[in-house]
Amino acid sequence: MDTLVVALFEILSFGAIVVLVVLGLGIIASMMGIFNFAQGEFVLLGAYITYVVHSIGLPVALGMLAAPVAVGALGFVLEKLVVRRFYSAPIVAMLGTYALGLIIREVVRGLTGGLYLSVPEPIGGSITIGTLHFATWRCVIVVVTVLVMAASYALIAYTSFGLQIRASLENPSLARASGISTGRIYSVTFAFGAALAGLAGALIVPVFSLFADLGIRFLIQGFVAVMVGGVGSFAGPVAGASLIGTLSAALPWLMSPVVADVLVFVLAIVFIKFRPQGLVSGRGV
Amino acid sequence: MTNNSRLLSRRRFVGNFAVASAAIAIGPGSWVIRPDWANAAEGPIRIGIATDLTGSLGFAGNTDANVARMIVKGINDSGGLLGRPIELLIEDTASDESVAVGNVRKLIQRDKVDLVLGGISSSMRNAIKDVIISRGKTLYIYPEGYEGKECTPYLFCTGPVPAQNCDQFIPWLIKNGGKRFALPGSNYVWPQTINAYARKVIESGGGEVVFEEYYPLDQIDFSSTVSRVISNKVDVVFNTIVPPGVSPFFKQLYQAGFSKNGGRLGCVYYDENFLEMNQADEIEGLASSLDYYKTLTAEDRVSAKIQSAYDRQFPAKFRFSAGSAATGTYRGLKLWEAAVKEAGTVDRDAVAAALDHAKIAEGPGGPAEMAPGKRHCRMNMYIGVAKGGQYEIVARSAGLVDPKEC
Amino acid sequence: MSNVSSTGTGARVTPRVVEVSQVLPVEASASAGRQRVLPILEMALLIIASVAPLFLRDYITVYATRVLILCLFALSFDMVWGYAGILSLGQSLFFGMAGYGVALLSRDLGIGSIFVVVPVGALIGLVAALLLAGFLLLGRHPSSIVFVSLGTMTGAYAADRLARGSHYLGGQNGIPSIQSMTIGPYELNEGPAFYYLALAILVLIYLLSRFLLRSQFGLALAGLRENEQRIAFFGYKVQHLKAIIFAMSGAIAGVAGSLYAFHEGFVWTNMLGVVMSTQVVLYVLFGGSGTLIGAVIGTAIVEGLSFWLSDNYRDIWPIILGGLLLLVILFRPLGLISLVLDERERVGSFGPSSREKRNAAP
Repeated sequence: MDTLVVALFEILSFGAIVVLVVLGLGIIASMMGIFNFAQGEFVLLGAYITYVVHSIGLPVALGMLAAPVAVGALGFVLEKLVVRRFYSAPIVAMLGTYALGLIIREVVRGLTGGLYLSVPEPIGGSITIGTLHFATWRCVIVVVTVLVMAASYALIAYTSFGLQIRASLENPSLARASGISTGRIYSVTFAFGAALAGLAGALIVPVFSLFADLGIRFLIQGFVAVMVGGVGSFAGPVAGASLIGTLSAALPWLMSPVVADVLVFVLAIVFIKFRPQGLVSGRGV
Repeated sequence: MTNNSRLLSRRRFVGNFAVASAAIAIGPGSWVIRPDWANAAEGPIRIGIATDLTGSLGFAGNTDANVARMIVKGINDSGGLLGRPIELLIEDTASDESVAVGNVRKLIQRDKVDLVLGGISSSMRNAIKDVIISRGKTLYIYPEGYEGKECTPYLFCTGPVPAQNCDQFIPWLIKNGGKRFALPGSNYVWPQTINAYARKVIESGGGEVVFEEYYPLDQIDFSSTVSRVISNKVDVVFNTIVPPGVSPFFKQLYQAGFSKNGGRLGCVYYDENFLEMNQADEIEGLASSLDYYKTLTAEDRVSAKIQSAYDRQFPAKFRFSAGSAATGTYRGLKLWEAAVKEAGTVDRDAVAAALDHAKIAEGPGGPAEMAPGKRHCRMNMYIGVAKGGQYEIVARSAGLVDPKEC
Repeated sequence: MSNVSSTGTGARVTPRVVEVSQVLPVEASASAGRQRVLPILEMALLIIASVAPLFLRDYITVYATRVLILCLFALSFDMVWGYAGILSLGQSLFFGMAGYGVALLSRDLGIGSIFVVVPVGALIGLVAALLLAGFLLLGRHPSSIVFVSLGTMTGAYAADRLARGSHYLGGQNGIPSIQSMTIGPYELNEGPAFYYLALAILVLIYLLSRFLLRSQFGLALAGLRENEQRIAFFGYKVQHLKAIIFAMSGAIAGVAGSLYAFHEGFVWTNMLGVVMSTQVVLYVLFGGSGTLIGAVIGTAIVEGLSFWLSDNYRDIWPIILGGLLLLVILFRPLGLISLVLDERERVGSFGPSSREKRNAAP
């Protein structure tokens, strides 16, 4: 019974991490139809900024607040400079983001000297319930993920800005005709997606240590999660990420991890084949 | 050595012309460290270093290149080898096998080196060994610790192998940890091979292997493994998971209370570079088995000399440590130097025959010698335990440890 | 090309064959008087490639051979992407499987003869592609472009991971020490001999592809790329067309894979993985898709640049390469070939030549 509870907690916390990483990817994919190949590198940047803040002596928590802001700003700039040109050719946009990701990754590799660097958690230790120990920081990640999701949902569903976003999502030409500046909306959305990735990177760096290839790991998982969940809505990527994240964390408990690794992706592809619209179909929230 | 300074020998002319035209054809070219005195009769001896200067193993490759620079400078400053200066050529294998093969070909076909030393991962070694040995007919020294079983002629290994890592280490772990072992590893050849060897030593020492499991290289969540370790009351975790997974694994083990409850972590490759990957208390008490530790400089004059010479020439970024094959590079080059002196030539067969039983009296961690007929190296092994983020040496081998390969 | 009136290659067509100009909404007369640059470009490159080994140092010739094999690989991608509009992010699956297949032949059975190795490579690529295409493309609903690309990418990823875990396949180390390829009793080593062999195979397959893509089949593919629904309404079995072109590209990738294995002398898991797939996409993007020669040029330039950059800017060359790619994507999204060819020639002129049009009765 104990093992089951611990297992559930671990699976949940890992699922939360995947959701956080994929949320930004999903929002960008739903909004603009572009799979951002640099999303993993935005996560890496968030982790790196947190490390830098820590290494100059400031509290880690400060770095974790700075990271999403900085990465979001970078995303805003990149969207205006690079991504904007390719809305009519999403495939080229994807490859453009791939080139961007390559540059970011190699720059970070040069700055870290190729080493693996550790960042301490702002809130360490563990919470004890009975005989079970739960790492505090993992709990924090779960809580923050839920809060961020709730806040994003509230923003999109209940504010007028969110209304504009949804309008641009469902029918861009009509939105433009109604006077909504879709260009501005896209920039903000891309920045938001990037900021989410930056936040994810900042939160997970105490768990996984900082290294230049951190982003690649999440890339394919992210794409599969978004496809499984369904492109075009907010709930879709969340659902997909939760499913893929929990599956990736749960299967190794049941079978050889090497097999489990491949099985998750194969299952996902088979699922998408027979339900192409994903878990949550339809556009909008 | 005859005085040929008056004669412009044809070979020298052709050699210089070839170098010049290569430079023109290719541009500035790869790192070439030319000695300032190149008036030897037959031209300089060329050593090629093919290592990962960029990519994920860049931190190790750059260290090896630095060690080579240091050694070659030392040899040239004291008059060269066989009266000839040594020219060092460094190529980047970029942690990418297909790039590596192309760059190693440059060393063989364009630069015509007399020796290639390099490769860090086993897959890199496999990729470049044919280019060097069979197609290139050149000697190859592989400096990194690995899983053993490489018995190709003209390929000499100067890093520790499973027997050296385990023979002394496992009995120590049984005595200072317990009898129940877990063998979690990354899913590739090195962990699988060393675990097979470790299992034999564990069982013959009265221990038992509770479970042995392998994980994909980029797996970062080990909750199921940690749970198995705790619930099976494992005493010693003999870890062969490598980065990036090793850091979250140790962290999760620590958070589950493994070391607090008396568990012992053992990880053979964990050198000073890796200590930074986790917080100090997460790896407190971790034991590793290496051929060199920086703290040896306090007790061994030779190691201190080597370490300080390296730190003086290459301060800051790339640490001289055992795990990055720096010690293997040092040994390899010095043993080769001794072999060339004995053979009196750089001809491959003569040098290989001499290298087969070469010895050096001074090396990092102690002397070293090649085991005759085995093409692997005997060396001192040490056991270090992490205390407060630094290593403390708790055991030393009684002499040079035999590699037991081939 | 002028056989507009004959029935197509196996695909069912309506009895009254549609006029070319109704399928492709471009004017055939626009290129009536223009110089055709494409054949000149191809001829020039062929001449350069043929005489290059005479001027190059041996080790550069060896490098160039590798580039030629990669050009073949890039060709396979251009076929599916440039002509059929399928973004196959998993071409390395066929490349790597063929490589591993022939490596196993060499290791376990000692077979190295080119007459066995190359056809086996092609066969492995073909079968793998057919299976993958069958799963991804066929079925009741037409698959979205993103699904196909993701599916192929996952295929490559899964194969990579599985190979890493397999001891028989050498795990992460791969299979080293593959013997040299033999042509009859003659052993083929790297150098000018292998170069010319690779060049010959490349030219042969290039010509075959060009011929095929200029035929009725290529016509249907062009229509497929431009507007899939419309071509379906004309009665073409779209998914079958896709499967066929996919299988063919798989076969070509397989040939490239088998040559690569024997030239480099080892195979390893990266040959199967996502990085290799993305690399070939970048080659074609750089050079320009839809012209076959663009793939060749792109490969040559990117590989040449990497070679030169890694020599001279040792520490930061990946960043420079990424930056260059970004610049090309930003300013020349159609690839470098668009500097010399115009859009019309990219798509390919499928109508009768201008002279025939003038002579033909309206």
